[in-house]
Amino acid sequence: MDYDAVLLARLQFAFTIAFHIIFPSFTIGLASFLAVLEGLWLSTRRAVFRNLYLFWVKIFALSFGMGVVSGVVMSYELGTNWAEFSKMASPVIGPLLAFEVLTAFFLEASFLGVMLFGWRRVGPRLHFLATVLVAVGTLVSAFWIISANSWMQHPTGYEQLANGSLRAVDWMAVIFSPTFPSRLAHMTLAAYLTTALVVGAASAWILLKDRAQTESRMALRMAISMFAIVAPLQLLAGHESGRMALEHQPLKTAAIEAIWESGPDQPQSLVGLPDRDAGRTHFEIAIPGVGNLIQGVPKTRPIQGLDAFPRADWPVVGLVYWSFRVMVGLGLAMIALGVWGVWLIVRTRLEESTWYLRAAVAMGPAGFVAVIAGWIVAEVGRQPWTIYGVLRTADSASPVGAGQVTVSLLAFMVIYAVVFSAGAVYILRLIGVGPATEPELPHGEGRAPGTALAAARAEPEA
Amino acid sequence: MKATIEPPPEEGQRLAPLHRRLGWFLGIALASAVGVAVVAYALKALLV
Repeated sequence: MDYDAVLLARLQFAFTIAFHIIFPSFTIGLASFLAVLEGLWLSTRRAVFRNLYLFWVKIFALSFGMGVVSGVVMSYELGTNWAEFSKMASPVIGPLLAFEVLTAFFLEASFLGVMLFGWRRVGPRLHFLATVLVAVGTLVSAFWIISANSWMQHPTGYEQLANGSLRAVDWMAVIFSPTFPSRLAHMTLAAYLTTALVVGAASAWILLKDRAQTESRMALRMAISMFAIVAPLQLLAGHESGRMALEHQPLKTAAIEAIWESGPDQPQSLVGLPDRDAGRTHFEIAIPGVGNLIQGVPKTRPIQGLDAFPRADWPVVGLVYWSFRVMVGLGLAMIALGVWGVWLIVRTRLEESTWYLRAAVAMGPAGFVAVIAGWIVAEVGRQPWTIYGVLRTADSASPVGAGQVTVSLLAFMVIYAVVFSAGAVYILRLIGVGPATEPELPHGEGRAPGTALAAARAEPEA
Repeated sequence: MKATIEPPPEEGQRLAPLHRRLGWFLGIALASAVGVAVVAYALKALLV
């Protein structure tokens, strides 16, 4: 396989996973949000929680479906474009992905049916159990996927056989590789934040049109609570994940911070234009003497720079460097949104603040952007390895030509553009209408409860 | 138009006996799981 085919296969995987990650990072948080809403409805019987549940469960079902479809594609890609990787690593990676299907996906898929079609048939408590099981399923799914990815970032508990393939010798070491706990925490919190930002944006959008809409007032407050609590926690989880990268993938850290020369007492680069060929950062703004402090190591301890590694092994420094800054910048904006929101709630001026509502709407996609930026840091930063230190990306690809990969890449781009645009437009239209405020009509009368039409205004505006 | 997503029972509505509700709970879950399995095996059959 020539270099162009490898690059195209990487582009294809990057394209499909960037689409896919949008959906689970939303549904993981949304499933938990639905469980909280239903739990609150069960304990208080306030219609606001039921109406919010019925509104968001439709969006959850659509997003879940699109997540499944986009996820299946990647499984096939492992065989079509990454056959050498699959041949070598499937004895280790295969069971982790199979556990994900057996323990998480089936849990989600099975009880989603009860969630959507069984509230009256099974009653409120069993329905709540189904919602909780789906929420647990999404978290279990994240557990296995992050476990597999963490193992690829820092493989442990395996041996290499004479034929080159890998075999697990200690499954606990495979599943709980050293970077796994911090990466799982980082991803789960990212998913919760992503959902909170979408819920906040959708609620703020409705409140900009109708400041008294009860459901959106409640949902915005719940979202702000999440920003205020989870965004600072995410900063800590991200820091711990970065500390693990420094310990186990120092080349990635060197790329993230554009550290060209090894040494103690590193400066902290804020912004600049890293130049891989020149081995320096142009127009850099840096704070001297705090790089080691931010990395959590003593000032006197040397930090490995890019010069400690062969130039052929360097990742695309500029992409990793800027993706990291986009992620961190958005994370700081989320913290600010949380602090600002809490301040407005305390002063009972939340709905009056048009600027806050606009900011919340603008931040709606921020979680998705941050998640994709974070994955670019993790995955591009790992290059040129698919399994760090064990299997190079160039040796992982299938023996297929650039033409074949190009055709499938173009096909994916066209199909995704049609299918996911339609899904996204439909979700945005639902969000634009907002949750129902009036009591749901009984079955068979007028607009059916729980449907998109029921969420629409009863009387169209003149 | 029948609801696509079923809403909760009305306030004061009498629920079916527990064994019947449990039957629906397990039945819908099983049907959903079987549905997923059918799709999975169909996809596999397309490839083999």
